[in-house]
Amino acid sequence: MLPSAAICEGFGTVMNNRLGQMTLFQDTGGDPRGAASQFADVLTAYGAIGDAACGNPPGLARRKASTAVSLARVAECEPHECDAMYFAGLLHAVGAVGNPAYRKDERLSERLARMESWDTPSMGAQICEHIPALPAQTADIVRWQAECWDGTGYPDQLRWHGIPRPAMLLALADTVVRAADPEEALTAVAMQSGRAFSPDMTRTFTMWFHVSGGEAETAEPPLEALRDVSAASTLALMDAIADRIDKHNGDEGRWRRVERLATASAALLNVDATENERLALAVRLYGAGEIAKSQQSEASFDPLARLGIDDRAAHAVLAAKLVEENPTLGRAAAVLRARSEWYDGTGKPDGLFHRAIPAAAGLLAAAIAYDALGHKDRIDTAAGTQFDPQTVRAVLEAARTRA
Amino acid sequence: MIELPERTRRISPSRLHEILVRHNCASLVDPFMGLPTHLNYLKRHGIACHGGDLLEWFVRVGEGIVVNDLTILRDSEVAEIVEMLPGRIYSLDMFKAWEGVFFSEEQCVYLGVWHDNVRNLRSDGQTGLAILGLWRAFCYWLQKTQNADDMQDVPPSELAWSYIRQTEQWVIANMRRNTVRQTDVLTTVAAQKADALFLCPPARNSFRSADARIWMWEAWWQGNPYFTIEHAYRDSLFGARAADPPSYARAFASVLEHAEAYPVLVVQTTEQRLGDVESLVRNARRKVEILAPHSYEMYLVATN
Repeated sequence: MLPSAAICEGFGTVMNNRLGQMTLFQDTGGDPRGAASQFADVLTAYGAIGDAACGNPPGLARRKASTAVSLARVAECEPHECDAMYFAGLLHAVGAVGNPAYRKDERLSERLARMESWDTPSMGAQICEHIPALPAQTADIVRWQAECWDGTGYPDQLRWHGIPRPAMLLALADTVVRAADPEEALTAVAMQSGRAFSPDMTRTFTMWFHVSGGEAETAEPPLEALRDVSAASTLALMDAIADRIDKHNGDEGRWRRVERLATASAALLNVDATENERLALAVRLYGAGEIAKSQQSEASFDPLARLGIDDRAAHAVLAAKLVEENPTLGRAAAVLRARSEWYDGTGKPDGLFHRAIPAAAGLLAAAIAYDALGHKDRIDTAAGTQFDPQTVRAVLEAARTRA
Repeated sequence: MIELPERTRRISPSRLHEILVRHNCASLVDPFMGLPTHLNYLKRHGIACHGGDLLEWFVRVGEGIVVNDLTILRDSEVAEIVEMLPGRIYSLDMFKAWEGVFFSEEQCVYLGVWHDNVRNLRSDGQTGLAILGLWRAFCYWLQKTQNADDMQDVPPSELAWSYIRQTEQWVIANMRRNTVRQTDVLTTVAAQKADALFLCPPARNSFRSADARIWMWEAWWQGNPYFTIEHAYRDSLFGARAADPPSYARAFASVLEHAEAYPVLVVQTTEQRLGDVESLVRNARRKVEILAPHSYEMYLVATN
């Protein structure tokens, strides 16, 4: 049992930690470009989560953004349109996060699921409209990215010149990144001339194909196009992403409950600032690992049983993969990956043992399990096997004090 | 060569839906519905939709994708639309007047065959779906006259088949009564009670520059290649009688007057026409909010 003085002191630190999260994205030495860069990294992660939600291959959003910009240059779009297209490409699938077609708790017929999936672009547009830092046109490009020239697209069934050019260019970029090779993309676009794409756009594509060889170089985010970015707006975006992930996974408010508990427990254990930051990021992102419809929901198995260990490890690995190359969020990757390890070394995916498991990962795992348990104190039975006994004591103390 | 206009009016139903949700509207009347794909979107999101238009083919399509809750077309039924059926007598020369001008001989024959086959369909829902699917094939052909080298040659029946199949995907029920009627604007406004009235009136004298893809399809549906849609507008509220600006303003004001019973009024306009429209709407309603996502897509949301 931890002494009560430690608990009180711990809660003082909890408040500091909560406030301290505001510094998560502030280490830019006052450089506004640094803040924009961190914001862009979070947007990149959001794009990757959107792709995971609708089953797209990893990295598709970034490739689509780069291809869209490359196409836009050949089509002689204005610079502000190119900027908007980059972010629209990055966020093309964020509407899938929370969309009933991809949510776990929905049981829809194939026909209804298809119709719900048609709303992915408009839901994505609504999300973009709530991110004021994005260039003005971004939301509309996302909204109309799946419209077809002949009026058979979705969500709005716009037709002909009613579809803005940047949206159609983004649709072309989508065809490129989904094709197995550039030749296949060329054939697909030619087949769809006058149907999905206007003949003008097809010609633009052909020109781009000959100029670029059908492949676009990776484009860097146009940071100067992001407006009024600050550490607070980046943190607010992270929170919004986490809220949306929980909604998608059918457990609204989960990350906030887990965060309160994990942060309070971390304070009781005097976890250092760096580890606290990693914990703060990981707590917002771990739900992304179970976002794909093919993944079992963690609510569907006992958090203390070995039975679900493979699924939990798969979620941990997937969440870590989504951010491991992200310059701003990558520091949470090790925590995300290790949160399904067991203290006794029998966990997965890497079989880490005792202190090899990052403290933040142990705290996160215990807080998730505690939150998911019907009889909360049952977590005690996993001390020494699944969780570090000290962590379990901290979690129980933190929970008791909060109650 | 036929001229296909650069700019077509854009109705973004997803944006319109966001406006309706914000004002708690569960039903909508659109007396200028045109091609009612936007009403199909709203229906899909649970809004009870009631549309009206002067052109019959728009109304027929509305019966297919707005009124129709269940009826779809099975493969065998699509096959009965897209190809000539043995034992049926076809008027193969029906659209010969368009041959060499807009279409090839083969395409004109198919237009005649499709016309006869669609007229023999069993239900209004199926007829509407087929008309919309075939219209898309027809538009593809017209587009191809301008971009012969850039578009694939697709056999007519295959093209029609794919478009009808695609159209059929949009059929859905919203557990509400939805209607469409072929009538002038004031009749539609008076005929139905709803939470919101959506107005996207034609610009002054716009029927004179009507898109060929619209009037030619009405001619196809009527089975008369010489058919024009001028008669439909001649005596309508926004037709010949509203040719000058004051008459047009009076016509618009009369619609607003008849729309008093609607709690919410949504008027779509453009920046160019905003000045004229806004003053009329402000005369009719106390609160007017302007949403302007683009210069060519602006909404005036008026409430009391």
